[in-house]
Amino acid sequence: MSGLSDVVRTAKSILTGHGITLKEFFREPVTVRYPQEKIEYPRGVRGIPSQKVNPETGDLNCTACGLCARACPVGVITVEAMVGPDGKKMQYPAKYELDYTRCLVCNLCVEACPFDALEMSDMTELSSFSSEDLVFDRDRLAEIWKRSHAARIAGGEKI
Amino acid sequence: MLELAAGQGGMPDWLWNFILAALKATGVLAFAMASAGLLTWVERKVAARIQRRRGPEVVGGPWGVLQPLADGVKLFAKEDVMPRAVDRWVWALAPSVIFFPVIMVFLVIPLDPKFGALRDLNIALVYLAAVTSFTVLGIFMAGWGSNNKYSLIGAMRAIAMIVSYEIPLVLSVVGVVLAAGSLSLVDIVEAQDEMWFIIPQFLGFVVFYIASLAELNRTPFDLVTGESEIVMGYLTEYSGIRAGLMIFSEYIGLLATSLVAASLFLGGWHGPFGTDSVVWLLLKAFFLVFVAMWIRWTLPRLRIDQVMNLGWKFLLPVSIANVVLTGAWIMVR
Repeated sequence: MSGLSDVVRTAKSILTGHGITLKEFFREPVTVRYPQEKIEYPRGVRGIPSQKVNPETGDLNCTACGLCARACPVGVITVEAMVGPDGKKMQYPAKYELDYTRCLVCNLCVEACPFDALEMSDMTELSSFSSEDLVFDRDRLAEIWKRSHAARIAGGEKI
Repeated sequence: MLELAAGQGGMPDWLWNFILAALKATGVLAFAMASAGLLTWVERKVAARIQRRRGPEVVGGPWGVLQPLADGVKLFAKEDVMPRAVDRWVWALAPSVIFFPVIMVFLVIPLDPKFGALRDLNIALVYLAAVTSFTVLGIFMAGWGSNNKYSLIGAMRAIAMIVSYEIPLVLSVVGVVLAAGSLSLVDIVEAQDEMWFIIPQFLGFVVFYIASLAELNRTPFDLVTGESEIVMGYLTEYSGIRAGLMIFSEYIGLLATSLVAASLFLGGWHGPFGTDSVVWLLLKAFFLVFVAMWIRWTLPRLRIDQVMNLGWKFLLPVSIANVVLTGAWIMVR
């Protein structure tokens, strides 16, 4: 009788399904209560690009060459070199602005930099009440790098 | 009840009966509403746990148990929207017509060995079958009065399903009636002193449980409110407290059906070691409620033709076979 074997098969598959859901019922939830709890980001996460700081001198690695601004597909980076006392441009940024409202977080600026001055940070919480707040200047980008770099070293990995 | 009735003083009988009835009704309503609220929370928690989430927990109370309170306040505070095209009275009355039969089920459920049921009818099962089929009317009123194709399709599906599952539902209970020799739920519970009817009447229990899930329009028979095809079925045009009332009646219906199933098959108030009391009934009923939720988050939804096939080609023959087998067993015994 195929009818009876059908019934047995159906009942068996239903019971198997219930076994699985019951097992899941007693397992620990995987939810992370986000604003209160945070997970550690995986290696290579891309947050906002940040300015590297030379740990010995405390200066930026940036030479204000502007290659990152040219590499940027959406043109959100503005670089202006510092002008020295002799009226010549120095190899240091006077102004380095990154408009995060339009940033793609594409990593192209980091790849373009020949001086190892930029790095993607693990800073992803960038919500703000005003769009002006999201235009990051030189010093804020350096601060972000310090924080995120410290976190990564504390987490046991250096990228 | 008897002691209470003796203390009626100089009151005329009709007044005393009226007060008693009002008290009972209030008690049932309070219990039903409170447990329906709790069940909405339990359902969300069970769903969350099966999906390895945490479920509601930020509103307050331990594990977010105050969530239904917040939901209730929200539903009450909502604007009472009446779509222009609806058939006013039919549409507005439908939630109540769905709600009250569900409440009436509580009347005959045997609660405690000393107390009995709120009203021990000697035709309790006939009463139950009559009262629960009233829900169909409410659902049809909601579907027709909404003047909306989705509502009407949902209502038609619900009616087709409820009408066809009513038959195996009633037939599955016949086995129990034969075994207990009575239609009164109190007598049926008392007949389960030695052995719960789930053991001799296992087939009947399976049929009863499946059919009652269909009566309640619960998964895997929730095609009447299949969101992906017909929005919310007959609930589509309802919002605010009217929708709340309908959702509440679904949960009260779930609890009421579980109470009836616990009385019919799981021994009602009977507990081990002479601890018979209403606590056991509630424990068994809530276990059955949990099983219904467990099923909901395990099985996918059936199509309407599959539902009809299951009802007419499987449950009906099985329930008839169960009646025949039970009859033969009683003859032989």
